[in-house]
Amino acid sequence: MKKQLVISVMSKDRPGIVADITGTILDLDGDLADLNQSVLGGYFSMILIAEFDEKVTPEDVIARFSHIKSETKIEANIKEMAVPLETLKNKLPKETFVVTGQGENRKGLVKIMGDFFNQRNINILDLVTTRDHKLYTMIFQVDLSNVDSVETMRNDLAMLGEQEELDLVLQHNDIFRATHEIGTPFDQDIRE
Amino acid sequence: MLRSDQIMATVEMIQKENLDVRTVTMGINLLDCRRDTVKDTCNRVEEKIAKKADRFVETCNKISKKYGVPVVNKRISVTPASFVGAGFKRDDFVALAKSLDLAAERAGVDILGGFSAQVEKGITDTDREFIASIPQALEETERLCASINVGSSQKGINMDAVAMMGKTIKELAERTADNGGFGAAKFVVFCNQPGDNPFMAGAIHGVEEAEVVLNVGVSGPGVIARSLEKTIKKRGRENLKLDDIAEEIKQITFRVTRCGELIGRQVAQELGVEFGVIDLSLAPTPKVGDSVGEILQILGVDEVGAPGSTAILALLNDAVKKGGIFASKAVGGLSGAFIPVMEDAVLADAVGKGALTLEKLEAMTCVCSVGLDMIPIPGNVDAATISAIIADEMALGMINQKTTAARLIPVPGKTVGEMVSFGGLFGASPIMEVRNVNMSGRFIAWGGRIPAPIHSFKN
Repeated sequence: MKKQLVISVMSKDRPGIVADITGTILDLDGDLADLNQSVLGGYFSMILIAEFDEKVTPEDVIARFSHIKSETKIEANIKEMAVPLETLKNKLPKETFVVTGQGENRKGLVKIMGDFFNQRNINILDLVTTRDHKLYTMIFQVDLSNVDSVETMRNDLAMLGEQEELDLVLQHNDIFRATHEIGTPFDQDIRE
Repeated sequence: MLRSDQIMATVEMIQKENLDVRTVTMGINLLDCRRDTVKDTCNRVEEKIAKKADRFVETCNKISKKYGVPVVNKRISVTPASFVGAGFKRDDFVALAKSLDLAAERAGVDILGGFSAQVEKGITDTDREFIASIPQALEETERLCASINVGSSQKGINMDAVAMMGKTIKELAERTADNGGFGAAKFVVFCNQPGDNPFMAGAIHGVEEAEVVLNVGVSGPGVIARSLEKTIKKRGRENLKLDDIAEEIKQITFRVTRCGELIGRQVAQELGVEFGVIDLSLAPTPKVGDSVGEILQILGVDEVGAPGSTAILALLNDAVKKGGIFASKAVGGLSGAFIPVMEDAVLADAVGKGALTLEKLEAMTCVCSVGLDMIPIPGNVDAATISAIIADEMALGMINQKTTAARLIPVPGKTVGEMVSFGGLFGASPIMEVRNVNMSGRFIAWGGRIPAPIHSFKN
């Protein structure tokens, strides 16, 4: 019997950190499934799913991570997967849209948007924000499956934008795929 | 998710650079509408267009709202009317024109194209009746556009037809004299007319096409102009060469074309009809900032018509094609930059300043699509001179194996430099000078045909 663990790791970024972390998993005879990593402000963060023997515990993995030498300690969080990975659908929902927001930086901007989506039962699928001097840019990938009218949503966003002095734009995710990906077919469902 | 800079670049293109889909045109085959009587045929034409275009405008609007990209024009093109009404007399074609106009109104489209005939080699009795009907048909309808193909690289130029065109254009202008000769603005003469062009006034649903097809015209020159301005500002003029400019045009056209293709295919899918082609033409509108002439100015001529204008236009036209062809599964129609004088504010301005002449425009049409387009000329220019201008333009198309066209408007009672305005998308311009008037009568009087060029014999 195998089990799947979801592991999130954070540390200061340096060359070799991926080799060290995945090496530790291999030492425990783990089999890597999906993995995502990013680096922000010099800090490395990774979330991954790996399959281990039943006897391997989260504590074993954390113990092994503690042997990795790094400028800052490897911080890890590990949970056992409730649902096996194969049954999860990675496909984006049909009504995946992108909301971009730009405005002068101030506290609470992401919270404003988070509340707006929450009030409408909209799930945020992905989020990237950047602060460039005074300009704050937010890019939300959202699932509008629970939204009845995109037009109403667009109007609501325009009102919110006016109220909060933010430049808010709602566009379908397909537009971005069409304009920046080569080989995306158009006469079938392009999310597939 | 995509990189955030890519997302913001696309958002900027849609919001600030006014990206749109310029036109979605539904082509409808009418060949099966022929009945025993003219009245029954007209009824069937109205019924068929109503049925096929039932949800057309509504669906374009729905998809446009979903994607947040405007579909500016929704149009219909039909099988050339001379085929649909084979055997009709002049008055019968006027009746058919009124039915097509009514059908367009009911479908909620502003223009319907296809009141057309193809006479590049010979003129049938029906074609003669049809051509004779054009002035009255366009005078008495609102939404109808007409076109005649008088030449091709394969068959040569039918000079009998060209001679008739001069007279037809004069009559059209005179019948609509109260409105500056506007009737002539709805009539185009072609060489190598394509059957899948979505742009008016020259759209037809060619006889080689499927039952119902959607053709899409990409966004206008404004997006390219704004993008070039941004690039020049960001990278510095001194750091750019013309090949960098061409590359930028290619890149932006790729994105613009992909948007057009995405939206066009979604509309086609929703309506359950075949997607035809993307037409890469850059079609200007009289709106400030949506001009092909402006791109020429950005790229280095102070006035359109100055030496260098043709070279810049060649670069632009070619880069647009290179970017667009890779972006789309099926490119067709006219696919080149348009230089319609009245519809392009910068071109009209250059005419007013005397920078842009008819001869220079003719030269420019060698390297772009589509020809001498929307050109107001003095109302007293004789029919033979108009025919001779058309013949010159047709010869460019025939020899260079490209589409060329002429849409000349002899404005009744007005002369060089006076303004004429049709409003809306048809725009305004000072009247252009036609030099050497009344000097081509003997040439036009020959009639007959300019034989097919030597390079048409490839079999």
